[in-house]
Amino acid sequence: MNSRKLKDKISSRLMLSATVFACLLFFVMLLGLFGKASPILSVVPIDDLLFSKDWSPMAGKFGFYPFIVGTFWVTGLAVIIAVPISLLSSIYLSEYAGNRLRETVKPLIDLLAGIPSVVYGLWGVLVVVPFIKNTLAPILGAETIGGYSVLAGGIVLSIMVFPVIISITTEVLKTVSTDLREVSLSVGATQWQTIKYVVLRKSSPGIFAAIVLGFSRAFGETMAVLMVVGNVAKIPSSVFDPAYPMPALIANTYGEMMSLPFYDSVIMLAALFLLLVVLIFNVLARMVLVKMERSVV
Amino acid sequence: MSDTHINIQDFNTYYSGHQALKNISVDIPKNQITAIIGPSGCGKSTLLKCMNRLIDLTDGATCSGKILIDGEDIFDKKTDITDIRKKMGLLAQKPTPLPMSIYENVAYGPRIHGTRKKSKLDAVVEKYLTMVGLWEEVKDRLDSPASKLSIGQQQRLCLARGLAVEPEIILCDEPTSALDPLSSQHIEEQLLRLKKDYTIVIVTHNIHQAMRLADYVVHLYLGELVEHGLASEVFENPKEERTRAYIDGTFFTDLAIDKEINLKGNVCPYNFVYAKQALHTLEKDDVLRIIVDYPTAVTEVPRGMETDGHNVIRVKQINESDWEIIIQKK
Ligand SMILES: Nc1ncnc2c1ncn2[C@@H]1O[C@H](COP(=O)(O)OP(=O)(O)OP(=O)(O)O)[C@@H](O)[C@H]1O
Ligand SMILES: [Mg+2]
Repeated sequence: MNSRKLKDKISSRLMLSATVFACLLFFVMLLGLFGKASPILSVVPIDDLLFSKDWSPMAGKFGFYPFIVGTFWVTGLAVIIAVPISLLSSIYLSEYAGNRLRETVKPLIDLLAGIPSVVYGLWGVLVVVPFIKNTLAPILGAETIGGYSVLAGGIVLSIMVFPVIISITTEVLKTVSTDLREVSLSVGATQWQTIKYVVLRKSSPGIFAAIVLGFSRAFGETMAVLMVVGNVAKIPSSVFDPAYPMPALIANTYGEMMSLPFYDSVIMLAALFLLLVVLIFNVLARMVLVKMERSVV
Repeated sequence: MSDTHINIQDFNTYYSGHQALKNISVDIPKNQITAIIGPSGCGKSTLLKCMNRLIDLTDGATCSGKILIDGEDIFDKKTDITDIRKKMGLLAQKPTPLPMSIYENVAYGPRIHGTRKKSKLDAVVEKYLTMVGLWEEVKDRLDSPASKLSIGQQQRLCLARGLAVEPEIILCDEPTSALDPLSSQHIEEQLLRLKKDYTIVIVTHNIHQAMRLADYVVHLYLGELVEHGLASEVFENPKEERTRAYIDGTFFTDLAIDKEINLKGNVCPYNFVYAKQALHTLEKDDVLRIIVDYPTAVTEVPRGMETDGHNVIRVKQINESDWEIIIQKK
């Protein structure tokens, strides 16, 4: 065997092992978490843990419900804020802006995506939280505890998510062929009609994928949210109430309250749960995506 | 001679500095088929794109001069371009169905222009699908995606979609070059039938097609208007030597090749580098012939040479694996 073939063989093996390793890691984590979480599962039934509202670790009550709700509120709000803004700016960048503007703005947006989340958290504490407390809540006549709230978490999170969505969506829109746009324009459609009925339609699977990716990031984002969301283990009744998303729970209390019986196991369960939610979410999203791709060919 | 429908006056187009159309002035007659012929890269598509101002989509393209349609200057600031485009159906080189059902494709234009009533849309869809001879083939699957149709059927669907907005002009850019012979024949027959109600402008590489279809011929060469006139006159008795040469298919024999290099077996970017070196040794206006067999080179070498300001005269496949690229040094 000559050396070129040998190299080829070695490199392909190497790549295979790297791939296998990455996949294995996921299952190792899953099994590890499950192993650690099993003590609490053998004492308390799973639906008690998931649907009980009572979180008093001292008394041995571990209801996850407030954390689950908190996670969904914050993430959901972030998506509601981020999606329209990102879509509009992607459309502007890919369809209306000239090359020069696009080339200037794109690196800036990519830069936003790379800022460490703690910086966003600080910005949230210094700007968003006071804004909610001093301006927004009084105007709307809402009650808030110092501005630390679901809304603050949602705003900070949405700002972290939208560079991701904009960046991918802009690329996706650019892949729609000029021919298709020409066809629509040539029957007398305006640019906006062309975008609405043809470009967005054609790229809807890609845009959906971009949103999912943003969503996945939002789900697990910990630091920035933890800093502004208030961290109160209660089910929020409005966006001005504080909440306590699951990643924040894990980050805040792991290592601190370990002396409590089962606490360690409970936190592992929370982590396992988070992992599964993200997994299921991604699988569902992929299924929807495949379906969408079929329907727009 | 019959009325003028499209009146082009002193028209120029530049692609970021490179002039693709030079001082074109020509009248396109109403309710006839006008063929725009000429070698690759001579500006045929560009001229067509200017007629419905799709050229606006190209970053860096600028135009000067006038194009009047029914006497209305389409480049005038006050002209509503969507009205102009509505008057002109477009049939592109590659059949391009919109990403929706067969029905929706035909109904797209009328919907855009405000037809909402289902019964009316149904009637329009049936009328134009029948007109292009597609109705019988698709009437049972109007709701299936247009992309499921064969390429030939797709092209007829595109024609129907263009007709559905009731244009006066049909612009076709090599509408049969992606089709099999039978589908091509189908489209040609449609066009011949349509010309009594529509003004048709067709860009074609195929001189025989032009002879079969055209009443009027416009011959472009490297962005210039070489000759235009009645098809019978131009084809039988061209005034210009270049037109005669093009029609005889001997267009390039008078182009003396000054140097020839064979780059078979090379990959990019070496192809490019060798081509550049070869051009370097030549004088201005000398002609270089390059033979390549690397697929990327077929597009990249001409593009690179054009960027360098040279003139790519021809890119043509000469046998199963090889392509020739002819470049004039500038
Ligand atoms: N978007 C563009 N940007 C820069 N140059 C362009 C662009 N489109 C076309 N050109 C150049 O303008 C010239 C005319 O191009 P055009 O597409 O009109 O030629 P054509 O006659 O339609 O050729 P073909 O028969 O190959 O379709 C060519 O030299 C081409 O390279
Ligand atoms: Mg062309």
